[in-house]
Parts: sequence; C-alpha cells; structure tokens
Amino acid sequence: MLYRTAGQFKTSYTADQALFPIRQDAYLLGIILIFAWVVFPLTASEFTFQTLLIPILIYSLAAMGLNILTGYAGQLSLGTAAFMGVGAYACYKMVTIMPWMNPVVAILLSGVFSAGVGVAFGIPSLRIKGFYLAIATLAAQFFLVWLFEKWAWLYNYNASGAIQVPNLKMFGVYIAGPQADSMIQYFVVLGIVTLLTLLCINLTRGNLGRTWKATRDMDIAAELIGINLMKSKLTAFMVSSYVVGVAGALFVFMWRGAAEPNLFDIPLSFRILFIAIIGGLGSIMGNYLGAILIVGLPVVLNTLPQTLGIPISSAMVEHLNIMIIGSLIIFFLIIEPHGLARLWALIREKLIIWPFPY
Amino acid sequence: MLNDIFVAPFVDMFAAPDFLMQVLWEGLVSGILYALIALGFVLIYRSSRIFNFAQGIMVVFAALTLVGLHAMGVPAWICILLTLGVMFVLAVVVERVVLRPLVGQPDIILFMATIGITLFLIGLGEIIFGGENKVMITAELGIPTGSVLLEPFGGLLILEQKDITAVIVAALLVVGLLIFLNKTRMGRAIRALGDDHQAALSVGISLQTIWVLVWFIAGIIALVTGIAWGARAGVSFALEVIAYKALPVLMLGGLESITGAIVGGLMIGMLEKLFEIYWGQPLLGGNTETWFAFVLALIVLLFRPQGLFGERIIERV
Amino acid sequence: MKRFTRLAAAAVIASLGAGTAIAEGLYTPNLSYRTGPFAATGIPLMNGQADYMAMLNARDGGIGGAMIDFEECETGYSTEKGVECYEKTKGKAIVTQPWSTGITLQVLPKTNVDEIPILAPGYGFSPMADGKVFQWAFNIPAGYWDAADMIVQYIEGQGSLDGKKIVFLHLDHPFGKEPLPLMESLAEQKGFELVPVPVGLKEMQNQSAQWLQIRRERPDYVVMWGWGAMNAGAITEAVKTKFPMENMLGVWWAGHDADLKIVGEDGKGYKSISWSFPNADAPVMADIKKHVVDAGNSQSNEEEMSGVFYSRGIIISAILGEGIATAQKHFDTAEIDPGQLRWGLENINMTEERISELGLDGMVPPFSTSCSNHTGHSGGWMLEWDGEKFVKVSDLLTANVDNYAELIASSASEYADANAPWPVNEDCEG
Repeated sequence: MLYRTAGQFKTSYTADQALFPIRQDAYLLGIILIFAWVVFPLTASEFTFQTLLIPILIYSLAAMGLNILTGYAGQLSLGTAAFMGVGAYACYKMVTIMPWMNPVVAILLSGVFSAGVGVAFGIPSLRIKGFYLAIATLAAQFFLVWLFEKWAWLYNYNASGAIQVPNLKMFGVYIAGPQADSMIQYFVVLGIVTLLTLLCINLTRGNLGRTWKATRDMDIAAELIGINLMKSKLTAFMVSSYVVGVAGALFVFMWRGAAEPNLFDIPLSFRILFIAIIGGLGSIMGNYLGAILIVGLPVVLNTLPQTLGIPISSAMVEHLNIMIIGSLIIFFLIIEPHGLARLWALIREKLIIWPFPY
Repeated sequence: MLNDIFVAPFVDMFAAPDFLMQVLWEGLVSGILYALIALGFVLIYRSSRIFNFAQGIMVVFAALTLVGLHAMGVPAWICILLTLGVMFVLAVVVERVVLRPLVGQPDIILFMATIGITLFLIGLGEIIFGGENKVMITAELGIPTGSVLLEPFGGLLILEQKDITAVIVAALLVVGLLIFLNKTRMGRAIRALGDDHQAALSVGISLQTIWVLVWFIAGIIALVTGIAWGARAGVSFALEVIAYKALPVLMLGGLESITGAIVGGLMIGMLEKLFEIYWGQPLLGGNTETWFAFVLALIVLLFRPQGLFGERIIERV
Repeated sequence: MKRFTRLAAAAVIASLGAGTAIAEGLYTPNLSYRTGPFAATGIPLMNGQADYMAMLNARDGGIGGAMIDFEECETGYSTEKGVECYEKTKGKAIVTQPWSTGITLQVLPKTNVDEIPILAPGYGFSPMADGKVFQWAFNIPAGYWDAADMIVQYIEGQGSLDGKKIVFLHLDHPFGKEPLPLMESLAEQKGFELVPVPVGLKEMQNQSAQWLQIRRERPDYVVMWGWGAMNAGAITEAVKTKFPMENMLGVWWAGHDADLKIVGEDGKGYKSISWSFPNADAPVMADIKKHVVDAGNSQSNEEEMSGVFYSRGIIISAILGEGIATAQKHFDTAEIDPGQLRWGLENINMTEERISELGLDGMVPPFSTSCSNHTGHSGGWMLEWDGEKFVKVSDLLTANVDNYAELIASSASEYADANAPWPVNEDCEG
C-alpha cells in the first residue's frame, strides 16, 4: 500500500533507467536527507555527533570506496586503512605546507595522492587473483604503515611521530582542529559524503560501472568481449583509493583530530571490510546500513548496561561487546550473505505487493 | 650508496660467520613457527576452500587453555589431553554453528565468518582467562631450558634448547601429518575433498566428519605452535598477530601446498631475518620484518601467480 | 525485523540520554584497558587505582565529605574507544585519565575547549610539564624526559660515559619515540654513542632481530622503553643472548613483576627507574586490605598487590585524591568543579609529612607542583630485580631538569604554534 507502484508508467528507456524508477524511493530518500541535514543537527548532542553521526558517515564513505573495488570490480582488498592513511597524511602535509589552502579543497585533493598510490599497488592485480591478491594488498597495508612511522617528513619531524590537526578556518569559521564545533564538522562531512555518494552512484550505473561488474563476474570472459582489463581494474583501484583517501582525510581532520601511524593498521581495514560485507557487496546503500550497525552497535552496547542499571564492569562489557560483534557477523552472514542491502531489497519487494500478494 | 647495498652487507657476513649462523638459526626457528601456522591454514583451505583467519586466535586459545588448566592444579600431561579435548569441541562447534549453514557461499563470506570466529574467541578468551601475560609451563611439559653454546669459527653460537625442541617437534608433526594424509583412509578422504567436493561426496565421504577432523588437526597444530611460541615470550593475546606472519608464507608457498607452507615458512623466516639485519637496520631504520615477507611474496607472485608450489590456476570461460 | 528496528531506535534514544546523567559525588572516570594487547600491564594498575578510591570511600566517606564516583570506561588501549569514552564522560567528569599516549594526544587539544584537567601520571607528553602552555594537562610526578635523564645519571654513576655505547630499545610508537630528543642531546653532552633500536608493535613478541642487532653492536648498556608484551619479549631475549642483565635498564613502565617472573633468577640485576615502590608495610596497604580486599570489593590478588604496578596504581589515585583535597581546602567546598581541580593539581605539595599522613610511606618521593610546573619532577628510585621481586638499589635520584628546560619550553611552544590559536596562561609566574 505504502509502496504501491501501480500507475507509475515508464514511456521511455531513460525514464526506466532513472535513478529512482519508483517514486516512493525518492520520497524515502528525501525523508532521510531531511533527517540528515535538518533533524539530526538540531537534536543531536555533542556525544552523538562525536560517537555516532560523524563516524558513521566517514566509515560509510570508506566502505563505499572499498565496495567499489571489492563489490563492483571484484578485487578483494585488505589494505583499505593504509590508503586512508595516505589520504590523511597527504592532507596534513598540504595544510601545513600551504596554510592558506581551503581545508575542504585540501581534503578533496588528498584523495588524488591515495589514488596514485592505489594504482601503483593495483598493478599486481593484473596477474594475481582472489586470495592471493587479498594477501598482496596486505603488502601495501604493512609497507605503508611502516612508511608512516619511518618517514619523519610526513609528520614534520615532531618528537612524538603523531600528526595533530591544526585549527583550520573556512569563511571565518573553524572547521577542523580542537576549536571546531561538532555541528559544523558534521555538515562538512555530510556535504562531502553526499557529493561523493552521488558521484559513486552515477559511476557505478554508467559505462565504467558495467565494465567493472563484467570484470568481477569473470575477467576472462570480460576480456573476450572486448573489455580492457587493465583499464577496468586500474580505474577501479583509482576511484576506490580516491574515495578511501578522502575518507581517511575526513577521518583524521573532521573526527579524530590526531593520528599515530598504527591507527591505520589492519584492524581498521577489517572494520571497513566488515561494514562493506555486512552492508552488502555491490551496493551503495549497504555501506550506510553496515556502518550504522558496526559503528553504532558497540556504542549502544556500551551505554546499555548503564542505562538499564545493570552492574557490570566496563571491561566485561567490552569483552561481551567483542563476542557479540563476532557472533553478529556470523549471524548476518548466515541469514543473508548478500548483506543488509539485500535484506532491505527483499523487504521492499514485499512492501510493493503488500497487502495483496499475488 | 651502492656499496652499502651490494658490498658492505656481504663483507659483514663473511667477517663474522658465527653471527651469520646465529641470524640464520633465529630465522630458521621463526620460520618453523610460521610454517606451522601456515600448515593450519593450508589444511583447512585444502579441504574446504576456507581461508581460516581464526588460526591465529586458535593458537592463543589453545595455549591459554593449557596454561589455565595447569593453573587449576591439573598435571601437565593431562592438561594437554584436556586442551586437545577443548580444541575438538571447538572444531565441532565451528562446524555445526558456522560452517554448515554457510556451505557453498562465496569464499569471501566464509573468510569473513572466520574473522567473526576470531572476534568471538578473543572476547570469550579474555572473559575466561583474563588478559594477563602468562608463563608457558615449559618445565612441567619436560621441555629442556638452557642453551647449547657452540663456537664455530672461533665465534659464539647460542642455540636455545627449547628452540631445538620446537624444531624437532615441528618436524615430527609435519612428517606425521604427511603420513596421515598420504597413507590413511581419513587422510586420503581429506585430500579427495580438497580436489573435488562433488566427486568426494558421491563416493561416500562425509563432509561434516572431514571438516570436524580438519579443524581438529588445525587445533592440534595450534596447540603445538602455542607451546613453542609461548615458551619464547609468554602467552598473551598479543600473540594473535603472528597469524599475519603466516599469510605471506601461504602466498609464497601456495594456498594448497603442504610442501609450500614448509618451504615458504623457512624461506621467509630466514630471508626476513637476513634482510632486517644486513639491510633493514643499517639502511632503512629497522623494523622491516613487518612488511618484508609480504613484499617478497608479492614479487614472487608476479612471476608465479599461484605461489611456488600452488596448484596451477586454470580458468575456463 | 520491525521489532528489531524499534528496539534499536529505543536503544539509541536511551544512549543519548546516558551522556547527561546527573553527577553524584566527584565523578573521576578512568579510561582503563583491561583488554587488548596491553591488558597484561594495565590490569594491576587499574586495580590499584580502583582499590585506593574504594578504600577512601569506605574508610573516610570519600574525600572531604564528597564520595568519589570512580568509574572505568574500557578502551582496550584503542584511541578510538578512548575518544568515545572521553566524549561520554566529559559532561560531568572533573578529570580525564586517558591512559595511553595516543589517547592523550587526541584529548589534549580538546581539553582547552572543554576545560577539563588531564591527569597522565608518568606518561603522556613530556612538554606537558610546561603549565603555562598546557594549562589543563598534568603528568605528575615525573615525565619521560625525567626518566631518561635519571637513567643516564645512574649509569654515569658507574663511570664516565665518554666513548660508551648505549642502545635505546624502544617501542616504535609515540610513547617509545618521545625520549629520543633528550637522549640525543645527552649523548652529545656526555659523549656516549646512542643507537636507537625500534621494536614494531607486531614484533613485540618476537624480538630476535632486535637482539641480534644488539649483539652485533656490543653496547655497554641497553635502555629499554617498553610497554605491554614488549617487556617480556625483550627480557627473555636478553637472557637468551646472555646480555649482562645488570647493564639493562628500563623506564618505569618496563618494570612489571610479571614480566620478570617469566625469567625468574635469570633476570637478576635488571633495573627499572620508578617513582613508586611497593611497600607492604605502608599503612595504606593495611587499610586497603581491611576496607576493600576483605570486603570482597577488589579484583586484585595477593601476588599482584605486592607488585610494582599495583602500588603505582595506588599512587596515581593518591595524587588525584591529593589534588581534590587541595582544591577542596582552598575553595572551601566539597563538590569541586574541573576548574577548581585544576587549581588543586597545580598546588599539590607532597612533603614527607604529607606522604606519611596519607599512609604512603616509602611508596612515592616528595614533590610539589605549581602553576607553571605541571609535572613536579619528583625524581625516582632505581629498582632492581633480585630474582623474585624488585628492590631499591639507589637513593632518590632527581632529574636535572634545568638541563632540558629549554627543550621543554621549545617543544611546548612548537606545539602551541602548530595548534594556533592556543590559549596560554600568562598569569603564571616562574
């Protein structure tokens, strides 16, 4: 009833292939956007901004980058965090060398560096496949983190070896650094994430996206029908690393405020991989659902016993937390290996024919 | 610069051959331990195409159980048996709860599931055993401590007795495993399953039994690894990271090959040590062991995409 | 599915409310790490801290009549969790105890805006000693540069350092790198050769490469800046390579009884600088036993309680308690706010009399803080492992702070410049 599609006729191919062939989808997205742009900022507390809203957006973006590579182009990568690190360090170097630079421009440009590094580490994918490639991306992971540690130029030779985000202004308002207001940071993140999401949706729907999908489904077959595998794989690495790099810059500049090299170590990569897989490989929306689950759940679980008044030590909560996350991953994989996005798709199909199934 | 890269390290090696031998010995010992972890991976991968990331935490879990049981006053040898029992129960549970519902899913899904298992076991282990660093019950298990001092070329070579024990035990384990896989019914069934699921099922091999068996063997290997590694630096959750060291071994040796795991492990153990000592520390600021193995494996893969001993990848359209 | 959504929504709403609960007594959260790779060293410290506060609550009804609401927020040493904990607790907390260099670095700039004191006893960022620049940060009673200076002093006491070789074995992490600038300048002054050997976070358990390097370098001394699993790894390797243990010295975080118990007798002679010492006869221990352990409220055990780290936990809580008490006396109120606590922490005067009044005899050296001196530079004792436990082998060593006052000032102002606009407290004199 709510989702009835009757009466929505398509008279041209363009209309049929539009972003929202069903009107209700557009309404739903509109509602979500109103929530994201208006309702949340008005109601959220500092704690919510810092532990839920901002991280969920940034993690979604990082997962989206990975999803382009793994979900659309079929190249499994375990080195996401290192590429985030490249973005973050590039951004740090840019704003310290050129303090006059607009921080948003710096963040968007930092993705270019990670894209370059991504392509370099993507070259082996032309020969190596499957798990071998996954382990090969670990070479990028470990090598880059080691480099962040050893290359003192990257952190301006400071004694601690960690980078600190300076206070950065845009149009007279602080948008990064300790002086920045959470709500402003949230809007900056939301703006960039919205922009890149739009870009990714359109890329994956277009010619390039179809090339990637063909490569994912079977690369030899794709090659036989005339797809340039090198171009397809390397563009996937490039776009993916760009998005991941921007996510990394946002991660440090808009959220964490400081970073040490081992922040970009393998647990972060796995976390993003969880988000992409639990959300659904080959889906843009899935990244958001996955991020809400993986980022939001521990926060909720942490505050739950206290709210309900259960006396339990915080160490115990943390242990239980890890166990619950582990089991949930297995649980979701068992009930829907294609992720939350697929779950939503099923619900939507049900809604369309509800209440009168055929 | 060129001199530092191509000449000086070799001059160093010949100037102090006893030191070179020490480096190679240390590399050999770590290599054996990498190879053991890699073996656990290979066994499971061969029989079920599952890339079992949980092997690292199984090492920790087995070692913790052993030490934990001993702390409760159980004699050492009974602890070993009980730990094996725990690993068996773990294998059964994993097969029942995780693997069976996921049969036939894409590789990556199964891989993620094993990471789920890893997280679960970390949480469970910390609740049961606590996060403190524990001392491996080396003496109680009859592993000799102390060291053998040799003086080759008038220098000094220190061989730890527990390292020697680890090398011997690992060698025995590998030989036993090879005999098991090649000479017994069960072993052949494991290999058959690895070659072709459908065909193996159709001749009456039970998938469930074999999976439990394979996970159990991986558990035994984990226990041996845990004892050997724990004897070096204590048992704590930080041990889990050694799982990462097994990954380049797999890449280099090939995911399906037992020989590959052993040769790859030894190669990586020794080469990374040599590189770190003679090139990494003087030229690159040290700590190259974190990535050297991966980069080495990556380079080898560029020439042999299935690793040195892996099955040739044949693709049909 | 829908029910799940509703449940989730309810949970989210509930969690939003949790951050704003009303304070009861003095809320002093501790960002603990009883899990993760560093849990082994964290647990005794956390237990010591918690037990001391529990003892004060049971014996005296808190401090100055106000109960202490000492709560742990588990971080697992992860910076991300740490920031979450900080955000969660900052609403009503009067102090933040970040417990890791990484979390400290993240929280440090925020405290200027949120105006909550950071208490990082014996860790954090050495330039925090400069109270003019770091108005809200405290690393009482001594910083890492103090530690490095005292260790070098102690070695020098055994003969001139000219021409000697010292290996600096450190964790490849902000924590381990911090003493490097000071060690370098000391090397220049005293004429010894410094060889830094980093240990990666993944190599903590397997340091054979590092110890091969040490064997090749043949140093006269090894100074270790280790933490967590790295200590046990280094000490076992040192024993294995037959490095003379009496020439191996560690920072205070590398002097954990459990790490040395792995090698036992073989570790005899290993030394660690420390500003805390376990004195089983101190009155405070008896009180903790009576009010906390016997009441069944302690998570600790006897073996752990006799160790260096447990007693250090006690000292850390005692420093916080003293800061609170000082502030209460000055402002004449039991329920102090963060700003008042900062004044309290800036005006601690731990004299020998005060130490024995608190029942901490022999457990901590005397020190005093001021508006411009946020560390106190208490000095410390050199402890030595005798095969079973740590014993004091030196008189009180004090760091030669004047020697690196300039380094502190320049690093502090460098930090302030990088984070401009950074408010500096100009009211401090001296």
